[in-house]
Amino acid sequence: MTLTFPSPEFDDAVAAVCHGSATEVEMRALNELLRSNSSARDEYLFRVELHSRLASDPDLFSEFGDTTGSVSLPARNTGDPSQITPLNPVVPPSRRKLVRVLALAACLMLVAGGIGRLWFKWSLARNGATSAAVAMLTRTVDARWSPKVHPLRVGSALEPGSLQLESGLAQVVFYSGARLVIEGPAELRLVSPSEAVCVSGRVLAEVPMPARGFRLKTRQLSIVDLGTSFGLDASQNRSEVHVFKGKVELQPGKAGEQSLAEGQAALVQGSDLPQLMAANPEAFAPMFEFQQRSLASEAVRYDQWRLSSAQLNRDPSLVVRFDFEDLSDPDWALPNKAEKSALAEGGIIVGCQRAEGRWREKTALEFQSVNDRVRLAVPTEFRAMTLSAWVCLKGLDRDFNSLFMSDGFEPGTVHWLIRGDGVLGLTVFGPRFGKFQILASPPVSSLEKLGMWQHLAVVIDGKSQEVVHYVNGLPVSRHTLNIGPPFRVGSAELGNWNARSGPNPEPSLIRNLSGSLDEFDLFSRALSDAEIRELYLKGKPDL
Amino acid sequence: MSADSTHQFRDTSAAQQRFLSMFLRSEREVFRYVAALVPNVTDAEDIVQQTAMALWEKFDDYDPARPFTPWACRFALNKAHQWIERRQRWQGLLERGLAEELAQRRQDLQPEFESRLKRLEGCVRKLPEGQRSLVEGYYYERIGIETLAERSGRSAAATYKMLQRIRLALQHCVESQARPEVA
Repeated sequence: MTLTFPSPEFDDAVAAVCHGSATEVEMRALNELLRSNSSARDEYLFRVELHSRLASDPDLFSEFGDTTGSVSLPARNTGDPSQITPLNPVVPPSRRKLVRVLALAACLMLVAGGIGRLWFKWSLARNGATSAAVAMLTRTVDARWSPKVHPLRVGSALEPGSLQLESGLAQVVFYSGARLVIEGPAELRLVSPSEAVCVSGRVLAEVPMPARGFRLKTRQLSIVDLGTSFGLDASQNRSEVHVFKGKVELQPGKAGEQSLAEGQAALVQGSDLPQLMAANPEAFAPMFEFQQRSLASEAVRYDQWRLSSAQLNRDPSLVVRFDFEDLSDPDWALPNKAEKSALAEGGIIVGCQRAEGRWREKTALEFQSVNDRVRLAVPTEFRAMTLSAWVCLKGLDRDFNSLFMSDGFEPGTVHWLIRGDGVLGLTVFGPRFGKFQILASPPVSSLEKLGMWQHLAVVIDGKSQEVVHYVNGLPVSRHTLNIGPPFRVGSAELGNWNARSGPNPEPSLIRNLSGSLDEFDLFSRALSDAEIRELYLKGKPDL
Repeated sequence: MSADSTHQFRDTSAAQQRFLSMFLRSEREVFRYVAALVPNVTDAEDIVQQTAMALWEKFDDYDPARPFTPWACRFALNKAHQWIERRQRWQGLLERGLAEELAQRRQDLQPEFESRLKRLEGCVRKLPEGQRSLVEGYYYERIGIETLAERSGRSAAATYKMLQRIRLALQHCVESQARPEVA
């Protein structure tokens, strides 16, 4: 078979290659032609490029399907052709794409080694695990979302895709630190931790210094933030940018760059040059008010904690994590937030009261009566473990006040507690009944610390045979551990203890906690001093 | 699980996130690079997936001072070769140096392609509804050809033919609009 160019046979052969249906004879004929005829080769390359563009640029479809006219998006990355620049990697919120990203993330883990293999299986079983999120929805006022997309809750991690707010206000905090307040009706497409596209609607952006370079695009232009606060009002044909603080850089489609300073605004219509005016903060008044409230230092700390929380939840060594964030009365189940843990089940709350946590908006669980407890089961064995909790003690009523204790005195299990004299204790039970080791810190909790939120942690490292107690991010005592791994948790309780004894237990066996917990983590490895410090810094109530 | 192997994993997890975010940003360009050699979408995606694995394994060697995409494309070319080696049909297409030639020539033509394809979005929108939904079904929703054929009452062969015609129409559209800009 011989192909000529141009010819209908050439057209068919190229199409067949694109569809994957070309025969070997066709392919060989095409090879012959493309090597000898440079016009045919260039034409072939362009057809294939058009085909691959259709297959890889979701922006070509649907997104703007409801618009009329034929305005195209502003000029995309041109410039140095040797550095091949991708177009905006806007990912459609389609399941197919998400599944692919998940599969990819899971496969990467596989590559990471033996342990990865295990997690790979787990994360497939629990398909909540993903690392594609770029931002978080942190707060809303009367927000109504488009019914086309699944409902968004405050605290949701947001993956690249479209946010359609029909009415109300919503704040999105990007992982880069940039915060956007959106006023409905608006459509915002999240691209990456440092980039978003405002298809339409009003946005107020607050970009702290570390997030400098945050890019917000509209149909007409691209705004690069240089550490500032600015407002944007975008529609199909026009974009208005108002700078309230700092400086931004405008990159309109065709014209060159332009900077806008504080108090300045610019209007860009179609492909016209930007028209300068004075910034008008009044147009963004409700958003400012909302932003002010969310910038109150307490709210900022809470938001920061939630952001780092979302990241922590993906730590593969995290086995159990309770953040006590969604305590709904009728449902006393406590979800395990550790996304990569094999333990799908969470804890069961028995008794207890809902209370205020480290910040006004954060919920905590208060333990007071002898019945109050959270029960959980962790069937795995560990070579090392780290326990971490944020605790607000109301009193040290018992000789032993339980933080986290395995039921009874089973081999290999642990009891983590605070003694009545303010000493942090860890008891590790040996492989045979009756053998155990108590590792007690110097007194750390005295009466003046009651009512304050404290971070307590203990690391049990089977390899280095060491136990370290920590208070507020600092080690308070180190001990040599004479009992080797494996360590177990089995059935256990937070804030109480199941002695598995008779109906009338001795007083020393009542070990309920008096106080509140608003975070608890169990890791399957020994965290370093620096990591414990980081846990503390990310969670401490004040800046 | 053992303490030592888990110990490193926290770092690995952070690196993985960094890698994923870089890779996802380059993924489209890598896909297009691969598709210039192996245009069939599902095959090209397979190769991209394998490329991602290889990149991740070698991510430690990546120099962040250099652009990610060209680095990724070098791996993609390698993976494409390995993939082609096991498929006689595709060897027929790409043998005797054509693969390298296509990759090189595509890079040379990139700015021109880019300027022509700027119009693609407008052209897709101008397609008659039936054609638009066929293209969207095939390329965006990735519906199989059998289903698309059934949906439109055509045979599979006629549906392929229709896609071919639509691509040619889109090509005419982008080219007719691109010319005046060059002048």
